[in-house]
Amino acid sequence: MRYAMRVGRRSLPGRPLRLATAAIVMAAALAACGGADGGGDGEAGGTKAPATIPELSDEEQTLSFVWFEWPPAQALEDFANAEYTKERPNVTVEVNTVPNANWHDAMFTQFAAQQTDFDIAILDSQHIGEAVTNGNILDLTDFVNENIDVDAYDPYLLAAYGQYPQAETGQRDENASLYGLPLLGDTWTMIYRKDLIGDEPPETWDEMIAAAQKCQDENPSVSGLAFHQANGSDAAAVTYNTVNGVYGGNLWDSADKKIDGVINDEAGQKAMDVLVNEMKPLTARGSGNWFIDEVNAAVAQGKACIAFQWIAAAGGLVDPAQSTLGTTEDEILDKLGFATLPTQESDVVPLGGMGMHISAYAPDDRQAEALNFMRWFEQEDIQKKWAAAGGVPARTDAIQSPEFLEAGPFNQVYADSVARMRDMWNVPEYAQLIDIENTNVNAALNGAKSPEDALNDIAQQQQGVLDGDGGGL
Amino acid sequence: MAFISPALLLLLGMSVFPLLWALYLSFTDYSATRATGTDFVGFDNYTTILTSSEVHTRALTTLVYVVGAVLLQTVLGFSIAYLISRRTRGRGALTTLFLVPMMLSPVVVGLFWKFMLDAQFGVINSMLGSLGFGQVEWLTRQRTALFSLIVVDTWQWTPFIMLIALAGLTAVPAYLYEAASIDRASEWFRFRHITLPMVWPLLLIAVMFRAIEAFRLFDLVYILTSGGPGVSTETLSFHVYKVAFLGFNTGTASAYGILMVLVVIVLAQLYLRYLNKLKEG
Repeated sequence: MRYAMRVGRRSLPGRPLRLATAAIVMAAALAACGGADGGGDGEAGGTKAPATIPELSDEEQTLSFVWFEWPPAQALEDFANAEYTKERPNVTVEVNTVPNANWHDAMFTQFAAQQTDFDIAILDSQHIGEAVTNGNILDLTDFVNENIDVDAYDPYLLAAYGQYPQAETGQRDENASLYGLPLLGDTWTMIYRKDLIGDEPPETWDEMIAAAQKCQDENPSVSGLAFHQANGSDAAAVTYNTVNGVYGGNLWDSADKKIDGVINDEAGQKAMDVLVNEMKPLTARGSGNWFIDEVNAAVAQGKACIAFQWIAAAGGLVDPAQSTLGTTEDEILDKLGFATLPTQESDVVPLGGMGMHISAYAPDDRQAEALNFMRWFEQEDIQKKWAAAGGVPARTDAIQSPEFLEAGPFNQVYADSVARMRDMWNVPEYAQLIDIENTNVNAALNGAKSPEDALNDIAQQQQGVLDGDGGGL
Repeated sequence: MAFISPALLLLLGMSVFPLLWALYLSFTDYSATRATGTDFVGFDNYTTILTSSEVHTRALTTLVYVVGAVLLQTVLGFSIAYLISRRTRGRGALTTLFLVPMMLSPVVVGLFWKFMLDAQFGVINSMLGSLGFGQVEWLTRQRTALFSLIVVDTWQWTPFIMLIALAGLTAVPAYLYEAASIDRASEWFRFRHITLPMVWPLLLIAVMFRAIEAFRLFDLVYILTSGGPGVSTETLSFHVYKVAFLGFNTGTASAYGILMVLVVIVLAQLYLRYLNKLKEG
């Protein structure tokens, strides 16, 4: 028995060795057979959508969108099923949602499989580069030229939600291709407590910090500031990018693809210092993982003097059912004010919102239906109805319309912010760049890194990604 | 053979083939999304991973987490099992009650602990406040965030150790204790020389299972801290996820995964040999 056990033990290393050898032989055989081909069909840049909409099917069909879970998603589904069905009664619109943190993965893992259960992907503007480079979405240039009144838009809004390569801030390159059309415009609004800091909002960033400090000192149970600090999605990164812009910094030199030396220049360092050493001390303890919901909760519960939030996510703040600031909307609005972001060295504000993009892997009949939906959605009267239903339109006539401006107390902020918007990078490496920035800014905000080290690490690591260093880690 | 062929095919299709495919991809620069060609890069991916300071940081975090969580779970799990084993009444009900956390989904556990640990509104800080302590930033400070992960994992998985320890304790022959009683052996002597040696091998197997599980921790990190603050609670599995699904560097992520499997296999082999020696002794 003891002998048998010894033999058994001695044979243990042999078995894994034989298995490993077999595995390597099989792997080598697979490699010799060609194996993976890169996952693409060589159509990087995207299949072109036809200029004219193909004949639409009369069969019952469902047009599927994919978005993340937030109020505008339900608003879109309700709006489309109420209005689009008047034109296309055989079509049901379904807006499928995933948690915000899974949004990129949910779309791009399906793109990777070259099979999508959605027809229209609602991409963040920064996702466009990745999707276009991999041939995941249709090139809509010819379709747009034929069906969309491009002069009805602020050129930068049209470019931001569809153009690739990326447009210069504030401009549109008319020779570049368009891969999407605006669905929901957005930017940050400053939310301030009129009853605590006065009716007039601070005009400069320094004044804003001083007002928040004074308010906090006078009201010990209320924090001076509330803003996004989480290391998921693009939360902390957008916060830093906004302060960076306000203090005259730049995220990169897009022409030379240079980040190191740009984002961490003097203006960038000043912005990081202001964020970590002047703004962070005015936030609530433990707010280092706050994002949209937590900031809304702090405002609704009267726990913040000044807060920053995406306009599209601010609707619930004036809902008496969700707020402790008043029992009616008017009572709440007596206490809450909404204003454009203060300026300092510069007046830039973050570009938010998303565009509609047609999956290259959707069946032909639903691609045609998606094109028809886009043509329908981008009409002036539909955009105004979308605005009245709670959406944020992109057409200038809809933005300036009473339907939009009177639909929410923060909509004027959006209208006033359009000319000030600045986007991030929409290069294929976006997901890695935003993760680097998020984690480092979050680390600085929570004391895990010094502001200087965090900013320099962002610059070096992002440059490494753009340069292709690091082997993908 | 005919009877086992469906199971065999399932095993080949669901486990063996993906493993071999990942092994192949680990020697390439393949990306699941990029429509570019795939080149054979030899051991470049492995070299990059093994020499990366980012990986070393995650490995250290994972090590601290595994040692902390498994140690705490073992001490607590064995203690609870020992106390339960000494009871004659209500043992079944108590055991069932203690097993409840283990039956919950880690995502659900993560979500409700996230609420409980919230610095502003969480019940833990509220309780600490009523006892006169200050607010603790459980999930947003470097040390407390990792500690919180260990605590939550311990809350969920201590029952597993307890269950196995309890099985070992109930299997200790009663006559050994009777003999010790006749010899007027102290409680500590009985524990040190009868209980512990009899349960130890079984406990070590439970520790191995828990260590392997803890080594590949992903869900709790994803829900509770997202790896933060910064990357201070990013485990190796969480990092692999980022490499695979943020950058879609599939070849690198495959090599990373293979290396993790190898680490587990090698450590498990060494551990099993120790267990065998213990058994022989």
